[in-house]
Amino acid sequence: MLLAQVIVGGLLLGAIYALFSAGLTLIWGMMNFINFAHGEFVMLGMYFALLTVLWVHGGPAVFTLAAALLLFLAGVVVYFALVRHVLRGPMLAQILSTFGLALLLRYTAFWIFSANVVSLPQTSLSGVVNLGGIFMPLPHLVAGLAAAALTLALHVLLTRTSIGSRLLAVAEDRRAAMLMGIRPDRMQAIAWGLAAGSAGLAGALMATAYPWSPSVGETFVLTAFVVVTLGGFGSVLGAMLAGLIIGIIQALSAFYLGAIYKDVVVYALFVALLWFRPQGLMGKA
Amino acid sequence: MKWASLVLSAALLAYPLLLPDPFYLDVGLSFLLVALSASAWNIVGGYAGQVSVGHGMFFGVGAYAPLLVFNLWGAPPVAGVPLGIIISLILAVGVGTPTFRLQGHYFSMATIAVAELIRILVGTWPLVGAAIGLQGPAVGRAWWDLTFRSELPYYYLFLAVLALLLLITQQVERSRFGYYLRAIKSGERAARSLGVPVQRTKLYALMLSAVFTSLAGSLYAIKTGFVDPESGFGLLISVQMVIIAALGGAGTLYGPLVGALVLIPLQTATNDWLGGGGTGLTYILYGGIIVLLARFEPGGLHELWYAVAPKLKRRLQRKERPHAA
Amino acid sequence: MTNHRVNRRSLLLTGAAAAASLATRVSPSLAADTVTVGVVEPLTGNAAAAGQAAKAALELAVDIINNPHPELGNLTLAAMAGLPNLGGAKLKLIFADHQGNPSLAQQLALRLITQDHVNALFGAYQSSCSFTATAVAERHGIPFMVGESAAANITGRGFKWVFRGTPIASDYARTYMRFVADMKKRGVKIDSIALVNENTDYGTSVADTVQEAAKKENVPVALRIPYSASTTDVSAQVLQLKEKNPDLVIFISYTADSILYIKTLRNLNYLPPMVLGDDSGFSDPSFIPAIADIGQGLMNRSAWAIGKPGSTTYKINEMYKAKTGRDLDDTSGRDMQSFFALADALNRAGSTDPEKIRVALTKTDLKPDQLMMGYEGVRFDQTGQNVLASTYLIQLKGKTYELVWPDNAATAKLDWPMKGWKQ
Repeated sequence: MLLAQVIVGGLLLGAIYALFSAGLTLIWGMMNFINFAHGEFVMLGMYFALLTVLWVHGGPAVFTLAAALLLFLAGVVVYFALVRHVLRGPMLAQILSTFGLALLLRYTAFWIFSANVVSLPQTSLSGVVNLGGIFMPLPHLVAGLAAAALTLALHVLLTRTSIGSRLLAVAEDRRAAMLMGIRPDRMQAIAWGLAAGSAGLAGALMATAYPWSPSVGETFVLTAFVVVTLGGFGSVLGAMLAGLIIGIIQALSAFYLGAIYKDVVVYALFVALLWFRPQGLMGKA
Repeated sequence: MKWASLVLSAALLAYPLLLPDPFYLDVGLSFLLVALSASAWNIVGGYAGQVSVGHGMFFGVGAYAPLLVFNLWGAPPVAGVPLGIIISLILAVGVGTPTFRLQGHYFSMATIAVAELIRILVGTWPLVGAAIGLQGPAVGRAWWDLTFRSELPYYYLFLAVLALLLLITQQVERSRFGYYLRAIKSGERAARSLGVPVQRTKLYALMLSAVFTSLAGSLYAIKTGFVDPESGFGLLISVQMVIIAALGGAGTLYGPLVGALVLIPLQTATNDWLGGGGTGLTYILYGGIIVLLARFEPGGLHELWYAVAPKLKRRLQRKERPHAA
Repeated sequence: MTNHRVNRRSLLLTGAAAAASLATRVSPSLAADTVTVGVVEPLTGNAAAAGQAAKAALELAVDIINNPHPELGNLTLAAMAGLPNLGGAKLKLIFADHQGNPSLAQQLALRLITQDHVNALFGAYQSSCSFTATAVAERHGIPFMVGESAAANITGRGFKWVFRGTPIASDYARTYMRFVADMKKRGVKIDSIALVNENTDYGTSVADTVQEAAKKENVPVALRIPYSASTTDVSAQVLQLKEKNPDLVIFISYTADSILYIKTLRNLNYLPPMVLGDDSGFSDPSFIPAIADIGQGLMNRSAWAIGKPGSTTYKINEMYKAKTGRDLDDTSGRDMQSFFALADALNRAGSTDPEKIRVALTKTDLKPDQLMMGYEGVRFDQTGQNVLASTYLIQLKGKTYELVWPDNAATAKLDWPMKGWKQ
């Protein structure tokens, strides 16, 4: 029973990991671009959710959507204002630009919201579901299921729709895609919008369960890196699987080895995997 | 080249005489330390193009070793410097061997993961001070403890190590090893087809880089007299090396110096003016400048020179001509 | 390669510009009628919330000292304006942000001493930064008051110039053990305790000390769980507790993680007989609103009690609230108290001569009625540690904490076990 409880907790958390890593893997796979500010997108999603609740008293459906939309816009703006110009420059300039962006976003939030810890006011999303002795807090349950569903939806969008094939075409061969009449700029902007939007959505979902402050993004970005590398760069389904696996590994190792060792186990497995299967879980060799 | 080196050395040598105030000396120390670690990073991250975001692991090992030998056996901290270098070399081989088989971001990700791994483990290990960290001798017992009341001896010590590193880097630049590195940076597959031993070259570069990063860490710890997991192995330590080198111009001899020369005074001055207000404006400014530079000067600040230099040269020549005539 | 063309002039220019920008920083005019104290705190970085709260608290303390506040009774230096023994000189604070970086803390201490010519230093929250900043003060012979840092050996390194006003881990451990013994005497069953601590210097040093004290007092520690405060999930830890079911769980935690623990206890439907917070996160003004409906009866350590309307502490809290919109928390309160002790010494020294200030500090003897915190007084031993610092235990009743232990100070009855979410 205890084991089941541990695993369920890990899965629910893992689903959220999957959602915010899905965006990172998308732009990583498409543009070979590491976004160090991805955790800050999650953080912004949390604050946008809070503002929506405070200002328009929106329910869970409203504030998650609002956060997703606002972050989608933010992603597009970031693409046109910054990413577009460093995309084909040296890799270091890319890293530099998103490091700078992360600092800028984090401390702008700090300036506006102060460093104090905030949590989302009680919404309709509260209570605990007791499933045969296994406890599932409603916010976690909804967040986990929604995250899993949305990650799958993103996967379907990329693999089954025309916009998805156009996105992948640009990723595959930019010039060939242009010859086919696809505008790479627009596609890449959409990819950034989707990436930031899913991060914002993940943030809004997490905000229902976790208190946070402006520096929260740092925690997420490292987890997301591991998830993305494990899942194979560019594979949303891989990120989904890796997110769930890491959620379970963290929960199990925290329970059996101790909370401080949960990240040790994850990083150690990650390094070990680089030895044995560098293409990631779902990547092609 | 010769001119640049001469003027630079003269300026760095004379700095303590021009600004003998302890605070400015300490800022000078920060500059040298940051320039030193960024230059060390530059060997593998700049010349070889293998972007490590976990160089804090070498810095931390270098910082812990001197204070560890002091705390365990009461040995002078300097005695720990070789220990730090040896452990750093082992680490470099351990991280480099598997990841250098791969291309792309794997090396970056692996270095982050290993550095974080070490940071967490050190934070739980009582022998090395766990979360609380290690202190050096509060009051030096003799000169060999290197706890100087004044910042001046540290300054010249740091400067000497930096000069040594730059000298070695310059030799590397001109050697066959240097050509290998540049070949790898511009295309691994092509380099391999030209007969460059890619994996081994990358590993040697990482090892050389690790030695000097470790040395920078040791100097930091001896001067500060304290290290804890965050100030040794923290992500910020690793990131700062990347930022400084990339800002000035990675893969160039003086790039990291230029980066440090811009960023350290900027950081100090903004923290000085705005830090006390506590609004985080320091970081907004800092982040903003980094973003702008990455956006408009993606090759690093040293490239600005190539935009300005021809004009300056022409103007200089015009001035000098009547003189010569 | 093009790299060797880095120009000398641009290097020199940048260097010169940088030097100029540093040199033109306006150094404060040191009029004889001001006494300056340099304050190094983490105003940004991970501990920014604590640093910001401390900044506001110190500004309030300076306001209380510099302006006449007869309504605050016997509180140190409140009644008159400024420092009377220095001809009514005003106190002035210079804040510097060390960002949680020990090497920067060192540099800033140096700057405050050699550039701003401060008469005393105050700081630095994180023990790491207190270690390095105090070493600079010691080298330069400037008194340093450590407001609030946990690590035991900040004092006791043979330093002459370092003082600490706050109680430290060993004081807390003693309080907890006395509390456990007292409860047992009352017939409360406490067969084992559990320690849950965040794993930076604060949590580690407090938990280590409590564990040692428990061993000495034969109180079994069923479980010790160190964890990282930046965690987003604590269910594994709570399940570990549930499995061992200790009678008292002591949390040594920061803010977000404290809230997360109480919520997770509720979510996993495990209510220990008693939860005791070691101040910090449990005292953060964000804590109570987040958990009030599910954490009824949990306890917390604090030397700060807002008190009844009309009391000195109540008035101080009102002033703080008017300034920041939040209640004063224990951590910032201890900072403020340490600062009052420093100001008292500055006044008694009657001079800005560092040695005179140091001697005055060693002779500090503040009585409980002069304090805002519930200490037995302020007196420093030869290591510089306040030996009269002590602490209360408080309990959450409704939306406020009430002082419930020790009995001689208690204003409300202690409820055991806690009710949590079960009304």
